[in-house]
Amino acid sequence: MKWLLFAFKNVLRNRRRSLITIIITAIGSSAILIGGGFALFTYDGLKQGATRASGHLVVAHNEYFSGEEDSAMQYGLSNWKDIKQRMEQNEHVKWVIPRIQLSGLISNGEKTAIYMAEGVDPEGESRAREFLIHKGEWLSSISAENEDAQILLGKDLAKSMKADIGSSLTLLSTTADGALNGIDVKVRGIFSTGVPEMDKRLLYVDIPTAQALLDSEKISTLHAYLNDTDDTEIVSDKFHAQFPNNTLKNWEELAFYYVGVVNLYNRLFGVLGLIIVIIVFFSVTNTMSMVVRERTREIGTLAAMGTLPREILRNFVLEALVIGIIGSVLGMAIAGGFIVFLENAGIMMPPPPGRNVGYPLLVYFSGQLFVLTTIVLIGISVLSALLAARKGIRQPIVDALAHV
Amino acid sequence: MDTLVSLRNISKTYHLGKTTVPALQHVSLDVGASELVALSGPSGSGKSTLLNTCGLIDTPDEGEYTLGGESMLSRTSKELTMVRRNKIGFVFQSFNLVPVMTAYENIEYPLLLTGLHDAERKKRVDEIMNQVGLEQYQQQLPDQLSGGQRQRVAMARALVKQPMLVIADEPTANLDTQTATHIIDLMKDLSRRYGTTFLIATHDQRMTERCDQKIILVDGKINTHDMNMTRDNALDKGGNG
Repeated sequence: MKWLLFAFKNVLRNRRRSLITIIITAIGSSAILIGGGFALFTYDGLKQGATRASGHLVVAHNEYFSGEEDSAMQYGLSNWKDIKQRMEQNEHVKWVIPRIQLSGLISNGEKTAIYMAEGVDPEGESRAREFLIHKGEWLSSISAENEDAQILLGKDLAKSMKADIGSSLTLLSTTADGALNGIDVKVRGIFSTGVPEMDKRLLYVDIPTAQALLDSEKISTLHAYLNDTDDTEIVSDKFHAQFPNNTLKNWEELAFYYVGVVNLYNRLFGVLGLIIVIIVFFSVTNTMSMVVRERTREIGTLAAMGTLPREILRNFVLEALVIGIIGSVLGMAIAGGFIVFLENAGIMMPPPPGRNVGYPLLVYFSGQLFVLTTIVLIGISVLSALLAARKGIRQPIVDALAHV
Repeated sequence: MDTLVSLRNISKTYHLGKTTVPALQHVSLDVGASELVALSGPSGSGKSTLLNTCGLIDTPDEGEYTLGGESMLSRTSKELTMVRRNKIGFVFQSFNLVPVMTAYENIEYPLLLTGLHDAERKKRVDEIMNQVGLEQYQQQLPDQLSGGQRQRVAMARALVKQPMLVIADEPTANLDTQTATHIIDLMKDLSRRYGTTFLIATHDQRMTERCDQKIILVDGKINTHDMNMTRDNALDKGGNG
């Protein structure tokens, strides 16, 4: 305890220099915490988005993800109701939702465009996903007799088709047998995905409409939504055993955007963190080098009195430890204050590339990141002190005592 | 009287670029326990080198050095540090107190190294502070003390561990006459009280007059060695080999 007290007193010896080093350490620490917290917020947002879009696990025909279909629904699931029922029996599963992927031409009688469609279970999808409906309503589960089927159109596709709520359009596609089929539909709603390219092409229909258009009872995929994302691996293992003849993908394998962003941010923030650590390292090394040089005669005196080199080294390391701890704690306070400020400020980030919807700028508080950053910065401070003081304690005592 | 410090044929040469400077040339010397020995001589005569050798902070090129009957020159650096920690005290011309430590903490420092427990440490520090008349200045930092007070702190720091030998390099050089006289009296008194041997490099006439031995070094050799100035029990005569 005495040694720590002496270290603290020595830190106060040259207050301005110590303060600058502490501030650099604090800024470094807060920058890592804020940058890392922002990355964690982004990862979490994308993860939630990805799991909402695809569910946690997707079951499909064995060839669905790897093969090329010769005809529509060639690799669809025919026994999907049975599989769905068995999947729903798993205690970790919240919902299982079927989907059909199809494409074709959409026409308003005057103009025709290409569409990509998803056949969905309206009720299930409304529970699992959030849709940004610009106009009208989400698909209804129950269609009235003799009424045209309903669709939800992407914002730009609706614009292209000059369609509004209640407009009649025709969907054309190739059936499972290869024949051309058409079906009249009414626009029930207009939505946006936030991705302009998708809004130009995408539409939603209910499963029966999609099956009628494709003239098939099959569906493309079954999507399992779990109670907890962390259970994905456990459930995946069970499903693998239960459905050996089907392909099973987890959300991460399908979330290309999420994986891309995580890889990019990890590298980006990793390099940023490394630069900060290097700055802190050189700052503390510089300070400790000056401290050691200024106290050369004191080192000689302590050595003459019988202080072992490692004991002198310990004194400098303790000083660096004090600087590192104060800097890290101050950095935590700065980062904490910034996090609280952002939560209350409501600042929006501009839309990411390829999207037209921004998102709130928030930074996550991560205890793990705080502990890790503190350990790294204190470790760096201690390492700097070791390197700086090593030279000082190696000097012959007589030379150190003669130092002016 | 037992011999505490025994030097035999000690030589040391410094190399400054292409120039070689013989700092000590075959110096032999015996110093008894609780003696005060004054080392004087012109600048560059080898006083500091001799003191550093006796204080185990410099090693000679050749010769033999025994302290308390134990050979010192074959020891490792760590062993020498432990000898300095337990048996040798230092008093420097510029006091060399640690500026962030109070007078009490400066004096306590050597005892912290020995691992003495708190109560005994406090007892010893309080006792030596009383001896040197600094009991009022325990919590003062060195820069809040006068030159004489600082030197007394340095003296107390050197003596608190009750060493066999104290190496003092010009201890009165930075002090006024009155303070210097007081410090000399204090050294005599402490030497008697603790049985400590003082090896003092000094130009101060008052100091040399009150020491048991007076050694004058010239060009790294003992030029004059006056014994028994104040005591009857002088040691065998040392010489320059």
